[in-house]
Amino acid sequence: MFPKQNDKLQVMSHAIVGFPSLDANEHAIDGLVASGVKMIELQVPFSDPVADGHTIANACHEALKTGGSVRETLKLCKTVSSKHPDATFILMSYLNPLYRYGLEQLFRDAAAAGFKGMIIPDMPVEEYEQYMPLLDELGLAPILLVTPNTSDERVARIAKSARGMVYVVSRMGVTGKQTQWGDDFKAYVKRIRQHTDLPLSIGFGVRSADDLKDLTGVAEVAAFCSRYIEWQRDLGSDTAAANMKQLLVDSELA
Amino acid sequence: MIRSDKGYFGEFGGRYVPEILLPALTELEEMFEQLRDDPSFWQEYVGLCQEFSGRPTPLTPLRRLSKELGGAQIWLKREDLNHSGAHKVNNVLGQGLLVQRMGKKRVIAETGAGQHGLATAIMAARLGLQATIYMGADDIERQYSNVFWMRQLGSEVVGVETGNRTLKEALDEALRDWAASVEDTHYVLGTACGPAPFPELVSYFQSVISIEMKEQALAQIGRLPDEVVACVGGGSNAMGAFGAFLEDEEVKLVGVEAGGLSLKDGEHSVRMMANTGEPGIAQGYKTLFLQNDDGQLGDTHSIAAGLDYVGVSPILAHLSQTGRVVPEAASDKEVTEAFSLLMKTEGIIPALESSHGLAGGFKRAKTMRPDQHVIINLSGRGDKDIFNIAKAFPQPEWTEFLQREADRARELDAAKKGE
Repeated sequence: MFPKQNDKLQVMSHAIVGFPSLDANEHAIDGLVASGVKMIELQVPFSDPVADGHTIANACHEALKTGGSVRETLKLCKTVSSKHPDATFILMSYLNPLYRYGLEQLFRDAAAAGFKGMIIPDMPVEEYEQYMPLLDELGLAPILLVTPNTSDERVARIAKSARGMVYVVSRMGVTGKQTQWGDDFKAYVKRIRQHTDLPLSIGFGVRSADDLKDLTGVAEVAAFCSRYIEWQRDLGSDTAAANMKQLLVDSELA
Repeated sequence: MIRSDKGYFGEFGGRYVPEILLPALTELEEMFEQLRDDPSFWQEYVGLCQEFSGRPTPLTPLRRLSKELGGAQIWLKREDLNHSGAHKVNNVLGQGLLVQRMGKKRVIAETGAGQHGLATAIMAARLGLQATIYMGADDIERQYSNVFWMRQLGSEVVGVETGNRTLKEALDEALRDWAASVEDTHYVLGTACGPAPFPELVSYFQSVISIEMKEQALAQIGRLPDEVVACVGGGSNAMGAFGAFLEDEEVKLVGVEAGGLSLKDGEHSVRMMANTGEPGIAQGYKTLFLQNDDGQLGDTHSIAAGLDYVGVSPILAHLSQTGRVVPEAASDKEVTEAFSLLMKTEGIIPALESSHGLAGGFKRAKTMRPDQHVIINLSGRGDKDIFNIAKAFPQPEWTEFLQREADRARELDAAKKGE
């Protein structure tokens, strides 16, 4: 489940459905869970992932060639969520594949497959609002994003529909590049806290044990995604899982 | 001109972007709302188009060609005579005025055929702005002369290697840049697509085409034309050509899409005709996209890089569903024939993009009476297509010349290295 405010930092990691192959996904997720990761995003690959940097964008293009899709994502979640009942699986997708599936049906099927939350970077809060009663009924948490340039007025509106946790985009730009965790960043996190009691997940630019140490005590969740996908791409899923285990030891989160 | 209902045209349009881009889009929208009804702003814009790009562009009768086809009288709106060689510069000059008001120092743009990139590079040079142009790696190969000029003008041209390596990927990459740079950078979107307010804003600037066209038709024909025909890639020249006629129900508006090699998946860029594009939400807006059942955007093909795009203006998607705009398609083959016919009977070298409008317009004119009038929007000139046209009409002497020129360039490089 989702952590509570002030719980110790935990790492959320990532799978792109179909990358490196549909068969490899389940084994890679087993490896992440065995390494101590309790929260995993399952990303539906998309042809035009505009909020992602090249690591994830290229992995999406690969995943599409091996058959990654919305249906395969639901299928995978069903398998891994029953196998790993203590882990929390989060659906990550751009809007169009879900829109084509039919949003209402998708929400129902995602909840039935065992998803606890979802991140849709190009779905603005205005679009979520009409679905809130259904999502609350299903127990499927919209994890909404805030960014450094989001106004207070808008953070308040986002906080109203956010469930589970708020995804705090650490900096301007797309995924996959280093972030500096200085005073500006801390002031930004403090500003977001004024609007919500939900735990915060920090994403974009979390790439090392040092980053995780810097975020310990600042937030409840850190999204360690692009770097993990690089490991998976370059070293294979088993070494990626071993690296993840070491990362949690090095960052004193094991 | 058409007005959106909070960014929507019927069911299409909207603003589906990562949160990070919202403040810039809101700022742009607020500025546009303030300026669009200010006659002095429009005057400033038209004045700039006049002094820098030679507007108004002429309305040229095709006397010989009309006679040869034996149908309606055909006229061309000569957007090819703009500075930079295409209608793209209208929108760019307009957005340049906005950039100056916002005080931003850098611009980015996506480009397909390179005409929008070239226009942006020209504007950036003139206003002293830094410019980065994103272009699909395959499009760079197809339109290298434009890349050459953009770089000479001082712009950075970035080849995009992801996916199908055309306009769609260039737009994705421009959005990624903008997410990082939005505070000091303006995204000069080149067509009537993308998140609100771009479709409306680009159509507003391009409407200068149809405003002139209407006046010229009344002066030269003595009445409004029976039909206005334009090619449709993203849709900016079509919206420009149709804008002022939307209320004139007697004027038929025809949008010609790229029929490519065939209507099989991946071999064309037709989105508005039956069984082609389907409603989808991507690249920041809702429109008809070529896509599969899983909502993955499809691959496209056109002989013309500028029409090789997977989505279409949400305004045109809406107008094609209401029936106000009639969608048509022209195949690569019909397009090269129309290109050749115009060149040889009228002495005008059209862009391959615009030649889709010609192919569609000629076909329709043939079925019409000689007392009827068709205006085709000639959105750009064809100089940039010299390499592609040379492929369509092979000449051994051209190939030999390229070989000699390549040898000379290599010798020059070698001599420079030896210095």
